[in-house]
Amino acid sequence: MAEKTPAVEITSLVKDFKTSFRKQMLRAVDGVSIRIMPGEVYGLIGPNGSGKSTTMKALLGLVAPTSGTCAIFGKDSLKVDSRNDVGFLPENPYFYKHLSGVETLKFYGKLCGLKGKVLEDRVSELLALVDLEGARDRRIGGYSKGMLQRIGLAQALVQEPRLVILDEPTAGVDPIGSRQIRDLIFKLRERGITVFLCSHLLEQVQEVCDHVGIIFKGKMVKEGRLEDLIAIEDQTEFIIKDASPELVSRIKELVTSSAGASLVRTGKPRTTLERLFLRETSNREEDS
Amino acid sequence: MSQSIANISRGSHIGRIIVIARHAFTQLVRMKVFYFLAVFAVIAIASNFFDLPQHEGPESIGVNVLRSIKSWSLGTMTLFSVVLSIVATALLLPKDVEDRTLYTILAKPVPRIDYLAGKLLGVLMLVFVSLALMNVLMVVVLQIRTSIVLEQQLDMAKALNWPKEAIDSLKLETAANGPTWSLQGAVFAVFLRASIMASLALLISTFSTSTLFTTIISFLIYFIGHFQADVRDAYLQAGQAGEGVFARLVSLVLSLVMPDFQNFNVIDAVIEGQTMPLLILGKLTLIGLYYAIFFTIASWFVFAEKEF
Repeated sequence: MAEKTPAVEITSLVKDFKTSFRKQMLRAVDGVSIRIMPGEVYGLIGPNGSGKSTTMKALLGLVAPTSGTCAIFGKDSLKVDSRNDVGFLPENPYFYKHLSGVETLKFYGKLCGLKGKVLEDRVSELLALVDLEGARDRRIGGYSKGMLQRIGLAQALVQEPRLVILDEPTAGVDPIGSRQIRDLIFKLRERGITVFLCSHLLEQVQEVCDHVGIIFKGKMVKEGRLEDLIAIEDQTEFIIKDASPELVSRIKELVTSSAGASLVRTGKPRTTLERLFLRETSNREEDS
Repeated sequence: MSQSIANISRGSHIGRIIVIARHAFTQLVRMKVFYFLAVFAVIAIASNFFDLPQHEGPESIGVNVLRSIKSWSLGTMTLFSVVLSIVATALLLPKDVEDRTLYTILAKPVPRIDYLAGKLLGVLMLVFVSLALMNVLMVVVLQIRTSIVLEQQLDMAKALNWPKEAIDSLKLETAANGPTWSLQGAVFAVFLRASIMASLALLISTFSTSTLFTTIISFLIYFIGHFQADVRDAYLQAGQAGEGVFARLVSLVLSLVMPDFQNFNVIDAVIEGQTMPLLILGKLTLIGLYYAIFFTIASWFVFAEKEF
């Protein structure tokens, strides 16, 4: 049965911060609305300081919206019970260095009310999922950056949340570690877990996300299904299997003879999310 | 995924507070804070040698050294417990914010009051265990020394042909300077005072931006707490200024929010060998509970609105 309640519903979110001098207000997020349905993988992209992290913090109730609302599976983010269904991995997390991998997961599991055999089994399951069984009893202080991110992801999943929020999950991680985290996101998608992530690594977002939003200077400037967003509107692509050279030349002739149409190139038209992102943000930069 | 987790209860307030408290306790223990117990042991043993020579009579032999042991031990306990409770509390919150571990905790279904109460309880557990260990050391040293002193006193009294009643009374007097229930009450009072300071440091650290600031302000309030009652009395008795309703109101509010540590001067009386009435201990417990709860609730008010 398909769930009707959105996993994430952010409506006209505005967040102002006081700056230290003259008490001027700084608008970090300006009227952002995001709706993520269960099972979707949503990527929020934007330059540094564009309001990505603030949006995520508002969704987690770590900051209170100046106006607008945030809800997780229909529950107000400012209420504690909304956090039952969400797991969060902050950017560059440092866990308690004095704890081992197992102790860390047990600590977060107990905070969520897990105990006894259920907790033991869950911790073992998660360590296997993030491939840290070999480092289960090692102190977190000795973990590499990639291992920290993976144990962070494991703690986010400890109470089996239906939504996982990942803030720059691969920041500072080497390509191999980055690939492991990407594979984990795929696994989450296969399990039907909704993922809301923000990242600078556009290629990665393009690879794992099915919906994206581009946020710039606190405003949502583009949002939608990834496939739709990266399609080039004024071009048409035919992908023809086993086309003979004669057929190709006849198509070329037909195009040339048609008024207003021109052949750009043959082959697959390609754009990247990166190009879209740069175009959207550079236009806004010029306007402002 | 297993169905078992979907159906579990999400835990109780008490459960979460204990999880956070045990974690804070482990965190502090692994910071190797218990090394100071070695310093305490040295002080407790060294205090055996602070004996002023007095040879007027059997009753004064060695009594000073018993007082010295109690005085040095309780003094060191006060110092360590206050420093531990302030510094540990001042350290835990900013560290969690700085390391972003706070985000991961508050992103779980953990009410902010549970987090604060857990951290405070963790520090109090550490202070309690430290004081309990120091107490055991002090009692052992004091017990050994008391029996030595008593033996010397009895030898001298017998040599001087004291009557039996006088010897019995001497025994009681010396025993009062040894490890008594009042002394245990004094140690508990030291714990209560440290609890007040820990909850005060918790309140300050909810709005402070650094560990240093919290530590300095907490120590300032600790010192003010030792003479604020005198200042209030002097102010209220200083002619017309103290007669107004406003002045009395200010004085009342000040005493409600600023702990008056002169109440804890009974610890000094115990060092002198006096007994601590249960009523006084009950009063100190109520004072300790009042300030600890008051400061924790005030911390929650600040922390509940805090943005990260």
